[in-house]
Amino acid sequence: MSRILDHPVFGKIHERELVSFQFDEKTYQAYKDETIAAALLANGVRKLRVHEESGTPRGIYCNIGHCMECRVTVNGQANTRACLTVVEQGMIVESGKQLPNIIKRMVEQR
Amino acid sequence: MTNIENMIICRCEEVTYGQLLSTANEHKCSARELKLRTRAGMGFCGGRTCRVSIDKMIEHVKPNITPGDIPLKYQPPVRPVTFGTVGEIK
Amino acid sequence: MRDVIVIGAGPAGLAGAISCAANGLLVTVLDEFMKPGGRLLGQLHQEPSGEWWNGIKEAERLHQEANKLAVDIRCGISVYNLEQEGHHWHVHTNTGRLTARFVLVATGAAEYPIPVPGWTLPGVMSIGAAQVMTNVHRVQVGKKGIIIGANILAFAILNELQLAGINIDRIVLPEKTPISGKAAEPEEIMKSLLQAAHLAPSPLLRFGGRFMKHDWIRKLGLTFFPKNGVKVNGTPLQLRKAAVEIIGKDQVEGVRVADTDVNGMIIPGSETIYEADFVCIAGGLYPLAELAAVAGCPFQYVPELGGHVPCHSEIMETPLEGLFVAGNITGIESGKIAMAQGNVAGLSIAKQAGKGTGTIDQQLQQAVQNIRNVRQNAAIQFNPEIDKGRKKMKELWKEHYAKGDEKFHKIG
Ligand SMILES: Cc1cc2nc3c(=O)[nH]c(=O)nc-3n(C[C@H](O)[C@H](O)[C@H](O)COP(=O)(O)OP(=O)(O)OC[C@H]3O[C@@H](n4cnc5c(N)ncnc54)[C@H](O)[C@@H]3O)c2cc1C
Ligand code: FES
Repeated sequence: MSRILDHPVFGKIHERELVSFQFDEKTYQAYKDETIAAALLANGVRKLRVHEESGTPRGIYCNIGHCMECRVTVNGQANTRACLTVVEQGMIVESGKQLPNIIKRMVEQR
Repeated sequence: MTNIENMIICRCEEVTYGQLLSTANEHKCSARELKLRTRAGMGFCGGRTCRVSIDKMIEHVKPNITPGDIPLKYQPPVRPVTFGTVGEIK
Repeated sequence: MRDVIVIGAGPAGLAGAISCAANGLLVTVLDEFMKPGGRLLGQLHQEPSGEWWNGIKEAERLHQEANKLAVDIRCGISVYNLEQEGHHWHVHTNTGRLTARFVLVATGAAEYPIPVPGWTLPGVMSIGAAQVMTNVHRVQVGKKGIIIGANILAFAILNELQLAGINIDRIVLPEKTPISGKAAEPEEIMKSLLQAAHLAPSPLLRFGGRFMKHDWIRKLGLTFFPKNGVKVNGTPLQLRKAAVEIIGKDQVEGVRVADTDVNGMIIPGSETIYEADFVCIAGGLYPLAELAAVAGCPFQYVPELGGHVPCHSEIMETPLEGLFVAGNITGIESGKIAMAQGNVAGLSIAKQAGKGTGTIDQQLQQAVQNIRNVRQNAAIQFNPEIDKGRKKMKELWKEHYAKGDEKFHKIG
C-alpha cells in the first residue's frame, strides 16, 4: 500500500521526518507522528495479531480505539492499540500471538 | 450456500451466530444471561462491537422484546487499564 | 484547581471547552486520539453552496481558539471510568486520576457493525476506519475495495475515498439476517435514500435526484432495478446483491456475492466472487455513551437519535449534578450541530458555576435556538426523523427531571 501524497482538496503532504521501528523483528520506516497501524499499512502489513485461542489473523477494524482488534505489544506493554499509538524512533512492536487458554485469561486480567 | 451459522458475532471471544442462536433458543434467556453463557461480549472490547448484534438476536428469539427493554450495561474499565495508572495527576 | 474536565476533543468537546473558558472557567480536555478534532478530522464534503466542509481546517480553528483561552488539551489519554464523590467527579485515565466539579462527556459516536462471514480477516474494516486512514493518516486502505451496506455515511465516505484516488469496485448489501435487518432490504434502503436525498452530500444528491425524476422506479419497486446497479459517481450501487462471505487466507482476497429478490432474499445459484483487497462495512452510527453509563446516568432508548442516549435537557444537563453531555453522545447528527451543542453545554456549565455576566440566560437561549437553526440548514442528516427524537427527549426530561432542573438552577 502506499501513501496519498497529493489530494485535490487537502493538497500535498508536507515533507515529514522519518523514524524507524521494529515490528516482529523486522525494521520499517514511518513518518513521525504517524500511528503504528497507519505506518504498517503503508508498508503493506495488514495483519497485526492472531486470535489468542484460534490463531485466526486480525488487523484494524475501527481505527479509532473502540474495537481493540489492533492490540499489539509496544516496548513490552501488552494490549496497546496500534490505531491510537504514535510510532517513536526505535520502538519495538510485537504482534499478538496464539496463547494457551490460561495465559490468555491472565493477560486479560492485566 | 450461505454460512451464517458459523458467522462470528463476538470477535473477541469468537462466538458464532449459531452458538448464540441455539443458546438463546434453548434457555430463552436475557441478553445478560446469553452473554454469560456464551462469553459473547465479555472479551477485550467490553462488548462495544457486538452488543447491538446480541440485543438484536434476543429480539429475534423473544418477539415481545423491544430494544428499549434491554438495559444498557457497561462496566468500568471501559478502556484497557495497565499497571501504574492509578494515582492523582495535576 | 480546574473547574471543568471535558472528555472528548471533538467539535462538541472543543466548543464546550471554549465557551467555558471564555466565561472564566479553568478547563482540561482529554482525548485518546493523538490530535484534537475528533471525527471532524476525517470529514470532507461539499456543501450545497459548493463550498468544501473541510473537517481538518475546522478542527484547527477550534484548537487555536481553545489555545488562545488557555484551555489545557491533553491528547493520547484514555478515560476508563467516571465516578461521583460528593460534589466532585473523579475522571480515571490511563495516566492517573483527575478531579473537577463539572464534567462534560462529549465522546461522540461509534459504528454499528454488520457481521458478515469472514469479517474478522485483516483488510475488513468499518467504513469510518477507511475514512480516518484516508483523510487523517493519508494512507491508502487498498487497491480495490467493496463497501457492504448503503447509508448516508457510506455515501459520504465513498466520495472521500474516490477523491483520494481509491477504487471502490461496488456497493452491495449485507445478507439478510436478524442482525442485519433493514440494512439488507433493498426496498428499505431505497426508501431511506430517497428520504434523505435532499439533505445528503453531493454524490447522493445527484443519485437521489435521478431517482426522483424516474418515479416509475418507485412505483414498480425494485423489480426493474438494474442488475448491475446504478452508478454513484462511477461506483455501482447494487441493491439487489448481498455479500454472503468475505474470503481470503491471511487477508481479504474477495467477496462472495449473491443476487437477491426485491425483499433481499438470496436467489440460489446466483453467486459470484468479486476480487478485492479491502472491504468496508457500513452499519451506521450510535451514540458512544459508555462513560455516562458507568457514571450512573439514566438512559432512554430513542431510535431516532441512534439508540440509547443519556437523559439530558435542552441545555445539556443530565440528571446527575455537575455532569453534562454534548454532541453525538446525545444523538447522531453532523459536526456543526455537535459544535452548537458544545457551546450550549459550556454556557450551561458557566451558568451553574455562577460565571458569566447578567446576560448568560439570554446567551443560553440564543445558543439553544442556534442548534435548531443549524439543524434546519444541515447539509448532512443521518436520521430524517431527528426532530422527532429530540422532541421525545425534551418531553421525557420535562416529565421526569424538570423539578430537579429547577433545583439545579438555584444552586447555580
Ligand atoms: C467513524 C465516523 C465517521 C463519521 N463521519 C462523518 C461525516 O463524514 N460527516 C458528518 O457530518 N459526521 C460524521 N460522523 C458523525 C460525527 O460523530 C459528528 O460529525 C461529530 O464529529 C460528532 O462530534 P462529537 O464532538 O460529538 O464527537 P467526536 O467528533 O466523535 O469526538 C469524540 C472524541 O472523544 C474521544 N473519546 C471517546 N471516548 C473516549 C475515552 N473513553 N477517553 C478519551 N477520549 C475519548 C474520541 O477519541 C473523539 O476524539 C462520523 C462519526 C464517526 C464515528
Ligand atoms: S482498530 Fe479498533 S481499536 Fe484499533
